[in-house]
Amino acid sequence: MQGTPAGGTSPGPSPMDRQTLLVFSLILAAALGQMNFTGDQVLRVLAKDEKQLSLLRDLEGLKPQKVDFWRGPARPSLPVDMRVPFSELKYIKAYLESHGLAYSIMIKDIQVLLDEEREAMAKSRRLERSTSSFSYSSYHTLEEIYSWIDNFVTEHSNIVSKIQIGNSFENRSILVLKFSTGGSRHPAIWIDTGIHSREWITHATGIWTANKIVSDYGKDRVLTDILKAMDIFIELVTNPDGFAFTHSMNRLWRKNKSIRPGIFCIGVDLNRNWKSGFGGNGSNSNPCSETYHGPSPQSEPEVAAIVNFITAHGNFKALISIHSYSQMLMYPYGRSLEPVSNQRELYDLAKDAVEALYKVHGIEYFFGSISTTLYVASGITVDWAYDSGIKYAFSFELRDTGRYGFLLPATQIIPTAQETWMALRTIMEHTLNHPY
Amino acid sequence: MQPRRQPPPAPRSGPGNPRPTAPLLALLLLLAPVVAPAGSRGAEDPAQPQDAGVPRRLLQQAARAALHFFNFRAGSPSALRVLAEVQEGRAWINPKEGCKVDVVFSTERYKPESLLQEGEGRLGKCSARVVFKNQKPRPAINVTCTRLIEKKKRQQEDYLLYKQMKQLKNPLEIVSIPDNHGHIDPYLRPIWDLAFLGSSYVMWEMTTQVSHYYLAQLTSVRQWKTNDDTIDFDYTVLLHELSTQEIIPCHIHLVWYPGKPLKVKYHCQELQTPEEASGTEEGSAVPTELSNF
Repeated sequence: MQGTPAGGTSPGPSPMDRQTLLVFSLILAAALGQMNFTGDQVLRVLAKDEKQLSLLRDLEGLKPQKVDFWRGPARPSLPVDMRVPFSELKYIKAYLESHGLAYSIMIKDIQVLLDEEREAMAKSRRLERSTSSFSYSSYHTLEEIYSWIDNFVTEHSNIVSKIQIGNSFENRSILVLKFSTGGSRHPAIWIDTGIHSREWITHATGIWTANKIVSDYGKDRVLTDILKAMDIFIELVTNPDGFAFTHSMNRLWRKNKSIRPGIFCIGVDLNRNWKSGFGGNGSNSNPCSETYHGPSPQSEPEVAAIVNFITAHGNFKALISIHSYSQMLMYPYGRSLEPVSNQRELYDLAKDAVEALYKVHGIEYFFGSISTTLYVASGITVDWAYDSGIKYAFSFELRDTGRYGFLLPATQIIPTAQETWMALRTIMEHTLNHPY
Repeated sequence: MQPRRQPPPAPRSGPGNPRPTAPLLALLLLLAPVVAPAGSRGAEDPAQPQDAGVPRRLLQQAARAALHFFNFRAGSPSALRVLAEVQEGRAWINPKEGCKVDVVFSTERYKPESLLQEGEGRLGKCSARVVFKNQKPRPAINVTCTRLIEKKKRQQEDYLLYKQMKQLKNPLEIVSIPDNHGHIDPYLRPIWDLAFLGSSYVMWEMTTQVSHYYLAQLTSVRQWKTNDDTIDFDYTVLLHELSTQEIIPCHIHLVWYPGKPLKVKYHCQELQTPEEASGTEEGSAVPTELSNF
């Protein structure tokens, strides 16, 4: 079933933007045995009337072919884009000028663009040997992130170390970064990202944040004070199996990848598997549901690993779990409307954090308890943390509010990370100044 | 990045809720608009009763349903709007039947590119009456909005979009829009806008007091040749329902011509139960094919 193209005969694909045309050219070059486009230009011509339009159409008919239309002559008001081989540039420009056809040079040298594009694609796919060329403004695969972690720890071994706290269902390592200036069992702050694998902005924000911590240590007084007295732990890929799956098969996968005999649907919602109001409202006993809580609390290795680690450590003072999307900063409870005992303090702290976030790029966040701000949800991380004695338990929902949702463009990674950092810093500072 | 907005009002619970004396009497909740400091949108003042957050959510649901309906009815892929913020509203709740909501809210243009431009925050204002019936789809909507874009400009942009659609080469080699990194090729943008318009119809019908939807991704597109110059295409969308976090695949067929009402038919997949997922039979998705042909 063909859509009927309007306008005149356009041999080239039209309309195109740079990206598409370059990929097209690459394919073409490959097919024609490595064609070279050095010096070729793309000209944009505006025909004033039908007469000028027909002059352009005449160019099309020339043999041997002198131009290649990417956006063919259709109507006088629509621009005409044509690729002109280097050897024909002089002739074509003279033709256009002599007939009073206005043109501009859209692309000065196609080959240069092609090379740049190829280089960029190859670069982001290569596993980098150092973190200085790692792109913080792109999304990465699990292998790239784990490779970055190793480089990162090597480069900043004075304050960063890597800890494996367990294995995922499909036997991938579960890794945590520890930021510490020494001492034994300092009071600690926990941050996790990626518990829901489709929330790619969270891993990206976590990585940027890790780098921010090492960059600002010694320069930012507040951060330096925090690290003098406390340790920070960041688990970047809390759901590695799910994350790998979002890259390989299903970009919108949320749960982990656990399988149980006799149950056809895969995966448990890791943020419903905690031992706090387990199985209550806002979680689902249907294994095919996105909020399936699993057969029992902590049944999932990804959750058990964190519970064991935090419990054994015994000195965590704050826990921050990062999700997307909705632009919210929330505190317990999720499982009920009952307010926590220090609700007033958490309300005020959330308010301050959200204002600090707003000051960076003007992005507005809702804040409040989870059940009243977002929805009732049982068996969640921050409820468990709070019930375990961690007074400062917060949950973020990062950008945006639904325009792109989970598929947040990579261009928003750094702005999102920058503003989130100010909120995190506010919470950590408060934790430092209110020991318990 | 979103354009700066006026400080939003923070809803507070009203002076008191009259208890219904007769079973059919509704609860009337009055909400007074209050200005909160910029950047902070407190869900509620902790000194107030906890359910103060509920009316805000209900108003938002009503605003969303109204906006989907408005977008569908306007039938203009270049004039799509999104919710900016809820400004004020009232709700009458009858636990047995459903609820009626009056809501006033501001909107902004859907075009994400405008996010990056300062001062593009021209806000439209809408007022709507929305009636949700318990367990029934298709909330009844009465909505009016102030004009955001001049009619002639809107018609021109629609016509340009129409032309771009007609010039697309078929079969369209599309894996998904946006791609997994959130990028939409400008060349494919018209497809997305039209898909969003068609999805608005689906999302209107499916929005209730508690569920609301976002268009997450377009996973297949097919355009059909027509005898009468209309745009005719089939596509599959993934809708994200926020309260259950479910991803719902919907197959949508739409027919469009600039200035004419949009015609939509759809079928969304239902959540599998463990029994249905045993492999011996197909998921028992009941077709919800509704159209306004």
